[in-house]
Amino acid sequence: MSRFDEIAQSLTGTDVSRTADLTRMAMEEGLSAIEILNRGLLPGMQIIGEQFRSGEIYLPEVLFAGKAMKGAMALLKPAFQKEGAPPRGKVAIGTVKDDIHDIGKNLVIIMLEGNGWELTDLGIDVPTEHFCSAVRENDVDILGLSALLTTTVPRLKEIIDALEAEGLREKVKVMVGGAIVTQAFADEIGADGYASNAVEVVDLADRLLGK
Amino acid sequence: MQRLSGRDRILTALRRQEPDVVPHMELWLNPVVAEKILPGGSIEDLTEYLDIDGIAYYTVSMEKYDVLDQSKGIIRDKWGVVKRDTGQTTPHPIEAPIKSEKDLETYAPPDPDDPSRYEPLKKMVERFKGERAVVAIIEQPFMRVNEIRGAEDHFVDMIINPDLILQLNAIVVEHHLKALKNFIEIGADIVCFSGDYATKDGPMASPQHLEKFGVSPLGELVQVLHSQGIPCILHSDGNIMPIMEMLLGTSGIDGLHPIDPVAGLDIGVVKEKYGDRVCLIGSIDCGPLMMWGTKEQVRQAVKENIRKAGKGGGLIAASSHSIQSKTKPENYVEMVKAIRDYGKYPLSLD
Repeated sequence: MSRFDEIAQSLTGTDVSRTADLTRMAMEEGLSAIEILNRGLLPGMQIIGEQFRSGEIYLPEVLFAGKAMKGAMALLKPAFQKEGAPPRGKVAIGTVKDDIHDIGKNLVIIMLEGNGWELTDLGIDVPTEHFCSAVRENDVDILGLSALLTTTVPRLKEIIDALEAEGLREKVKVMVGGAIVTQAFADEIGADGYASNAVEVVDLADRLLGK
Repeated sequence: MQRLSGRDRILTALRRQEPDVVPHMELWLNPVVAEKILPGGSIEDLTEYLDIDGIAYYTVSMEKYDVLDQSKGIIRDKWGVVKRDTGQTTPHPIEAPIKSEKDLETYAPPDPDDPSRYEPLKKMVERFKGERAVVAIIEQPFMRVNEIRGAEDHFVDMIINPDLILQLNAIVVEHHLKALKNFIEIGADIVCFSGDYATKDGPMASPQHLEKFGVSPLGELVQVLHSQGIPCILHSDGNIMPIMEMLLGTSGIDGLHPIDPVAGLDIGVVKEKYGDRVCLIGSIDCGPLMMWGTKEQVRQAVKENIRKAGKGGGLIAASSHSIQSKTKPENYVEMVKAIRDYGKYPLSLD
């Protein structure tokens, strides 16, 4: 088995430090950070995504893989900067004001980071204005909005309207999600995309940027 | 058939038999809605006013907490979980007391014998004993541990530190056994274990993990209650269909709530597959229908609910979660009325 395959496989294992250990070994062996990401970690996360989608694995295994991925990425990050490797795109994501659910959002972050996107986590209970300033001040390609409650879902439209009012709407693609959000609702409020789970978000983000 | 008390209706339904009418109760009824229907009245008063067959009290965790930040609604419950109250049915956890294994050394659960925790339950029993079913609600162990350890750590620990989760389960089961004893002594008719095993997409963890870390400890508690003749309800949102066999087999519950339609559960399908093993409670859309629907739409939804799941008994008509703050009061009143109109046995809805 190649070092890359070992790294990919380690994400489906149960030893949280193994992915980082293998990544360190690969770097010491002279493999480039971008190769380790593209040929080891990303295929590993794709396996995780497929297994989650098909019901072979569940939240604990995805969270475990996210933890392992995070450890490996921390090692690779300085090397990326040296190698000048660009991320797939930039996403800012948060749960809307008065809503403090974060597991769904965190899963989306794991899956997007695991597929080479650069993520800014705006957190939970995020005021509408913070979403606008995240778009205004950072070079964000996609804004991800999460709302779980019947009482907070209307915020999704409020944020899209605020982006419009501030002349920011054209700068960014907006994707929305949450337990009671549907494609029809996303269309109605003028969002660019909707995904019903964290695995679908990976395809959606690619689609939104025409990748 | 002779007229039964609300209590007997619900207990009959939980035995999967036909009472005189399809009974109704809600596990959570928001005081804002109650106030609009019966100004100045309590939930107990409303129960009597609308002639609801049962009443539930969330006994063990929510009645007492420390306020940490009034303006932001930040509280700490008696299990040490920091939560934020956003005015919904249940405050949402934001910080767990068990951050590492070391915290276990000093961790103390709340006192299960603190009499003040049972005062409201006692009042309900005093007022309704024998007439209406009094349900004591307590978190099922999986959900309780999920809050004590924090959701993500709980999930990851099932893989990398299962012993910690088993130790936390043991703490919760020990607490709950004492609390259940108190419920029985006070005179609760039914115990409801509350907490989700699934999201709308499916089970939160593999069936093996859920059975070992969630449903087995629940089964232990159910067994103790059954030995005292107390039936048990499980409240779990989400798509539990993929684990239903294991859930019913390992837990031994008598009633299942809320048959979550948002997660794709169809009460007719659940009735057909599992109606001979468990009483069904819920499934009348508490979201758009109860918030924005017309009275006529509510009536049709109730009729459909009873038509699909009422046959042969084993149905307690209820909303698909709770009567939330945004429920139109007149829609809830209509729902109760429609249950009475369409729910007389023998049913004639086909």
